[in-house]
Amino acid sequence: MTITQSTRAATTSELTIATSEGVLFRLPLAGPAPRLYAMLLDIVIVLGTVNGIGLLVYWVFAKAPGFGVMVITLAEFAIGFAYSALLEGYWNGQTIGKRLFHLRVIDQDGLPLRIEQAWVRNLMRVFDALPFAYLVGGISVLSSPLMQRFGDRVAGTLVTRQTPLSLPDEEFWTRQKYNSFTEYPTIAMQLRRAATPELAALIQDALRRRNELATYARREIYRELAAYLQSEICPFPDELIERLSDEQYLMNASSILFADRGAIASSKIGDLGQG
Amino acid sequence: MILNLERFRAQAQPRWKDLESLLSALESRPDRRLDSAEAEQLQQLYAQASADLNRVTHGALAPDLRQYLERLVARAYAELHYTPPTRSQLWQPRRWLRIFTAFPESFRRQSRYFAMAALVTISGCTLGALAVRYDPASVDVLLPANYLRNPGERVHEEEQGQARHSNSAQIEAEFSAQLIRHNIQVALLAAALGVTFGIGTALLLFENGVLLGAVAVRYTQQGFGLFMSAWLLPHGVFEIPSILIAGQAGFYLARLLLHRREDRNVRDSMREWLILVAGLAMMLVWAGFMEAFFSQHHAPVLPYGFKVGVGLAELVLLTLYLLLIGRTESARVTRSGLATENG
Repeated sequence: MTITQSTRAATTSELTIATSEGVLFRLPLAGPAPRLYAMLLDIVIVLGTVNGIGLLVYWVFAKAPGFGVMVITLAEFAIGFAYSALLEGYWNGQTIGKRLFHLRVIDQDGLPLRIEQAWVRNLMRVFDALPFAYLVGGISVLSSPLMQRFGDRVAGTLVTRQTPLSLPDEEFWTRQKYNSFTEYPTIAMQLRRAATPELAALIQDALRRRNELATYARREIYRELAAYLQSEICPFPDELIERLSDEQYLMNASSILFADRGAIASSKIGDLGQG
Repeated sequence: MILNLERFRAQAQPRWKDLESLLSALESRPDRRLDSAEAEQLQQLYAQASADLNRVTHGALAPDLRQYLERLVARAYAELHYTPPTRSQLWQPRRWLRIFTAFPESFRRQSRYFAMAALVTISGCTLGALAVRYDPASVDVLLPANYLRNPGERVHEEEQGQARHSNSAQIEAEFSAQLIRHNIQVALLAAALGVTFGIGTALLLFENGVLLGAVAVRYTQQGFGLFMSAWLLPHGVFEIPSILIAGQAGFYLARLLLHRREDRNVRDSMREWLILVAGLAMMLVWAGFMEAFFSQHHAPVLPYGFKVGVGLAELVLLTLYLLLIGRTESARVTRSGLATENG
């Protein structure tokens, strides 16, 4: 992951921010599809609201329907722009649709969005919606590393995915605790010797991107990698392999590869390193 | 160093929980104010969580945990580095009224972009006028609608239509809303087309100008100059300047995007654009009402001289407003603005 001068870097799916304190964190970016769904939901909400107000206005202006139409036309127009701008501005970058689809608009430096930015990005919709069905905005999203439509580029904002995350559960910690490969220090050392840096990086990358891969793809990749390691590099005994999932196999292998020498050596006297 | 995750968790989990609850509390406050004890606590927990994140990133293979910590650090980072609007800024209707002084001030500050917009429109006007004057064949191309091509019929219709349209305030109300919506949409587009480096804005203004020039010459040629001035001036003196201001906002935006890297205060620049857009929207609301309720009444109900007079009076008032309002106050406002920000 490279860090640009502006301390922002993006792949197609995430924005990496390096803070002045030297911490690096990644924010997952939202693709066009969930944004489209959220927008459609918001449109439904706005139309519902406007129609609700419309009934009320018709009732109030029963004697003067022309003025009723005037009020509704103007209200619809104003609400159409103000709905997203106000909600995003005062509700930390979320409209109702965005909240339900776990999206949030933020400043492109990782800060909460400001009210002016919310207005600018929403007024720019008149351009992004050209010539129909948000074609300009959609092309802009697909061609931008930060997945910004023109409104986002002007306002300096971006849309992130905000799937709720909680601390990993108990199973996670027990899985991390014990590395059964350290019971076989000779084969483990063989793994360390034979693995190329590329292979080590590949394993690490596959594990790191665990949550970005579709389930079937993950299973397939892990199975192939584990099978390759087992057959070509480090033949651990079958009775151990039977107990391990492919993912656990790779995690063990990876922690052997990236552990310092002492962790494996010390395991000989029973004090197991973890990983 | 490879982390002993078990031991690490036992040490660190309490402070992650603390940070999480502090952040949830903060994020649920609309003004996100911190008292000094909270700020200190946040700073400390943030520093610790950052250090923990670094250790997990480099010392363990725990993608779930890393993601969790990244999210936590991102939230804390946002809270720490964000200056929230104060409670008074969130709800202060008196500040909203400031738009009435802020608009002419912004207009004057960015007047060179207004000049650009006017120049483009005027050149369009000139082209349209010359084309209709010297090349009658171009009329069919430039003026697609029949009523624009043959003003005689239209004038006749309008003047005869008086009886039919009398007491039609209902229809006029509906009409005004449509006008307002359409005009604001077009103006907003002109302002937004600044992202095409101003090219789109210029094209839109130019096209508008051509049409305006062609119509003016056509009507005058056929001897309906007075009718046309009376018909267009009462709303046109607001409508045309507001489109020019939309062009101004568009060119301003183009300039802003081209010089983004040098711009130290993007936030203020964006606010300037918003003020221009809000101001022109207000102008178009007035223009819409005038067009629907006033401009459509012709002689003999309203003498043309009177309508032209109203239009010119509006123009004078608008000019005075744009050139004079806020100028004497600007120094005071800046000072009091600073005072409220400090206080």
